[in-house]
Amino acid sequence: MTEPSQRLDLPQGTLDLLILKAIALDPQHGWAISERIQQISNNALRVNQGSLYPALHRLERRGWIKAEWDVSENNRKAKYYELTKKGRRQLEEQTDAWRALTAAIGLLLDHT
Amino acid sequence: MLSDLLFRLRALVRGCTVERELDDELRFHVEHEIEKYVASGLSRDEATRRAHLRFGGVDQVKEECREARGVALVETVIHDLRYGVRTLRRSPAFAITAVVTIALSIAALATVFTLAHTLFYRQLPVDRPGELVAVSGTRGPRTPEGLVSYPDYLAFRDRTQTLSGLIAHYPYAPLFVTTNGNAKEVNGAVVSANFFPLLGIQPALGRFFDEREDQVPDRDRVAVLGHDFWRTWFASRPDAIGATVKINGVDFTVIGVAPQTFSGVTTAPVELYIPTMMLGVGYRWCDNALAADCTILQMIGRLAPGRTVADAAAELPTLMPPSWLHAPKGQNSGVAVTSPRGATTDADQARLVAILAGVAIVLLLVCCANLAGLLGAQSASRATEFRIRLSLGAAPGRVVRQVMTESLMLAVGGGIAGIALSQLFVGALGSMFFAVDMEGHPLHFDFRLTPGTVITAIAASIVAGCLFSLVPAVNVVRRRRLADVNARAATARWSSSPAGSWLLGAQAASAVALVAVTGLLSASARLMLTGANFETSHVALMRVRPRLVKYTPDRAQQFQREVVQRLTAVPGVESVSMVGQGIVLHGGGAVIALPGWAADRSMRVRYNEIGPRYFETLRTPLVAGREFDDRDSIRSPRVAIVNETLARRLWHALSGVEGPEGRAIGAPIVVSNTPHQIVGVVKDVPLQTRTAAVEPWIYVPFWQNPQQVDSRLAIRVTGDPAAMLPALVREVNRVDPDVPIAETITLPLQMAGLIRPLRISATFVGYAAALAVLLTAIGLYGTLAFAVSTRTKEIGVRMALGAERARVLWLIVREGMTVVLLGVVAGLGLAAAGSRLVVHLLYGSAPADWLFYVAAALLISLVGLIASWIPARRAAAVEPLVALRYE
Repeated sequence: MTEPSQRLDLPQGTLDLLILKAIALDPQHGWAISERIQQISNNALRVNQGSLYPALHRLERRGWIKAEWDVSENNRKAKYYELTKKGRRQLEEQTDAWRALTAAIGLLLDHT
Repeated sequence: MLSDLLFRLRALVRGCTVERELDDELRFHVEHEIEKYVASGLSRDEATRRAHLRFGGVDQVKEECREARGVALVETVIHDLRYGVRTLRRSPAFAITAVVTIALSIAALATVFTLAHTLFYRQLPVDRPGELVAVSGTRGPRTPEGLVSYPDYLAFRDRTQTLSGLIAHYPYAPLFVTTNGNAKEVNGAVVSANFFPLLGIQPALGRFFDEREDQVPDRDRVAVLGHDFWRTWFASRPDAIGATVKINGVDFTVIGVAPQTFSGVTTAPVELYIPTMMLGVGYRWCDNALAADCTILQMIGRLAPGRTVADAAAELPTLMPPSWLHAPKGQNSGVAVTSPRGATTDADQARLVAILAGVAIVLLLVCCANLAGLLGAQSASRATEFRIRLSLGAAPGRVVRQVMTESLMLAVGGGIAGIALSQLFVGALGSMFFAVDMEGHPLHFDFRLTPGTVITAIAASIVAGCLFSLVPAVNVVRRRRLADVNARAATARWSSSPAGSWLLGAQAASAVALVAVTGLLSASARLMLTGANFETSHVALMRVRPRLVKYTPDRAQQFQREVVQRLTAVPGVESVSMVGQGIVLHGGGAVIALPGWAADRSMRVRYNEIGPRYFETLRTPLVAGREFDDRDSIRSPRVAIVNETLARRLWHALSGVEGPEGRAIGAPIVVSNTPHQIVGVVKDVPLQTRTAAVEPWIYVPFWQNPQQVDSRLAIRVTGDPAAMLPALVREVNRVDPDVPIAETITLPLQMAGLIRPLRISATFVGYAAALAVLLTAIGLYGTLAFAVSTRTKEIGVRMALGAERARVLWLIVREGMTVVLLGVVAGLGLAAAGSRLVVHLLYGSAPADWLFYVAAALLISLVGLIASWIPARRAAAVEPLVALRYE
């Protein structure tokens, strides 16, 4: 596996948003979530695996995602996370907020 | 919110399942990761290594997950508690010592809280006490609260709107009761008919007073018995209702019995209640007890619904009797409305409680210092354990929390034990110091632990726990920084670390101060009980009051003479004397002058009228002249005796061969406008504390006062005065069984009552001192013993290199004694400061004080020496070869 020369550390607080996004389409287990975030971002974002799980548990406690044990693609028991209604609403709100923020910052940076 | 709670609950209840699931989940991840690396062509070993590398510390991730789940707090606390119990079980001696010392200091604190609550804050033991207000007259600044007359009371009672009711009572009526063949003076209360209904008290038997029974003076002779009186005089028989009791010579019919839970609203328990219309029976000093000039009653009101104390305070002054408006100085001229709280309003008691609270807090701090030191040493010995836990990924905060949990377990355990123990202390406090007043009358303070006290005591123990866990906690944090430092080096350093030495020194200093102050206080108490220029043991007291049964002065004096004669004849009685004013050894005041003085010049002195052989009975030495004797009668010239202080003050300026005492004899003196001749000079009887100067005294003969009726007798016996008292009382009864006898106690008991604050302080500070000495010894011994055990190898090396045993011994002893001696020096300063705080309690001369300072310093040094000698001996006994193989 090729390691990209430059990787971005996640800005504080964005991991939650990325997790929500990663499981927006279908339920995923923890490893798949970390893989997906990395793949979709073209390996640009580095998800600290150590901090992924505490984040998952935190989101579960908040009731934004729920977990269920299921059989994985290679026939093993895995814990799958999926969005709850509350989580979906959160995802929308946070996505909008993020877009607005990046747009504003972009404007500011492009301004000459 | 609910789901969050359920989630936490599930995590908590099914902790094991959740843990297993977490394990499974993380393992799944890592295995997946390994598969991925293997698929990309790495060897399985390399893949495993990489996967783990990328994942990080599994335990740390787990810990963070637990915390994220929110159950971490509860879970860790339970875990910490379990771990703590295990740790403490490993060193039970330490755990028990810690719990016991905390218990002993918390018990002292809880006892002070209970005392303070009882004295100053407790509400009356009646129905809805919060609605009650005490209403009294005011007599200008710095005068006692104003009592009122019956007409004054009616003026308030009949017109007030803010109070739903107002009662009048006289709670200290001396009632001489004869019934069922018994005769005794008891404390009674004269109360208005609405007294019991307003307080919400229900009779245990019969009924209380009817309004109609309190309307016509001296008509309705009805009485209510106190529960105790009913039990002791009527054996709790129901036929007490309707029985006749003779009170101060008047027959009363019993109509009811008060409940067991109520013994009046003051600390003097009430045995009998009679209505205000019978006030003349209970109070003999006014010709008409119900007249406007007889101010003897206290008032308590109940606020009307919706009214506040401020409302009543605003209204009642407008209802004042007109005469109050232009009252002479010292008479009621205003109204005070207060919430009746606590058993006393005495400022002296407040000062006493402040001192006791200070001592209790110092004791608790000493205890904290001690435990901090021991825990510090212990935490040093656990350095390896902490290091391993820290390097295994435990957050430093987590380890600190563990250490604090252990301390708090000890603290709270000790706090609970201390509260249980304080029950004992409070009982002892009541029976030792608050059972009788100084005239021998029973008191009822009813000291009781309140929920507030319990909570405060537990809070105090928690604060203490936090305090003494600071040292080990700091140790942990420091250890983290020094994680690479050799553990043994760290442990060995603890004993001589500045923090440990400071703590030990502070303990030694407090011990010295407490011991020295204990010495001062108990020496003062002993001085007052054994007497200086007086001797209290073997003196019995009693008060005979013919006035209560309306004796004329002539008949009374005849009676008194016969009493003295008969008592003197009783086998075992050495001498009998009496005083006419106040209690024995005290008395009243008088104004004196010398014949040559200008008309407006005079001097206030202490004064008493005393019988013959008074100074013989009290063993007060005569300096010159003679005592009063039978020559000094109503027909002979007036004579007087002065004390040395007065003699010196009046005649010091005269020059001559004799001292002032000799010159005083025969000198004329004017006492209360009557010329007297001085016949004797006696030694000063120092009854004043160090903050007051020795007072000038003048004594005149009891028998030269034609108005003399009542007396307080002092009887010196050869044996135990308490044992003699019943026989003495019987002898007086033989002269006239109807004459009331009261205050039958011994002189030491009276003195003990007089110096109650001093005795309480002496006992309490003594307790704290004993504990502080013990803690200092334990602390020093524990620290040194620990240092020796961790430095066995070093000692072995020294000895192998030729150090002598004596040198090793000296090394350890020096380490301990340096700290102790520094503490002792600081303690002497503390003792000097402390003794200044209690100087108002001390009697006798100050110059001998240094003895107690020296004794305290020597005691603590000796204790320190022993506490360091034992571990030092052990160090000196180390065999070099064995020590070198150690570890």
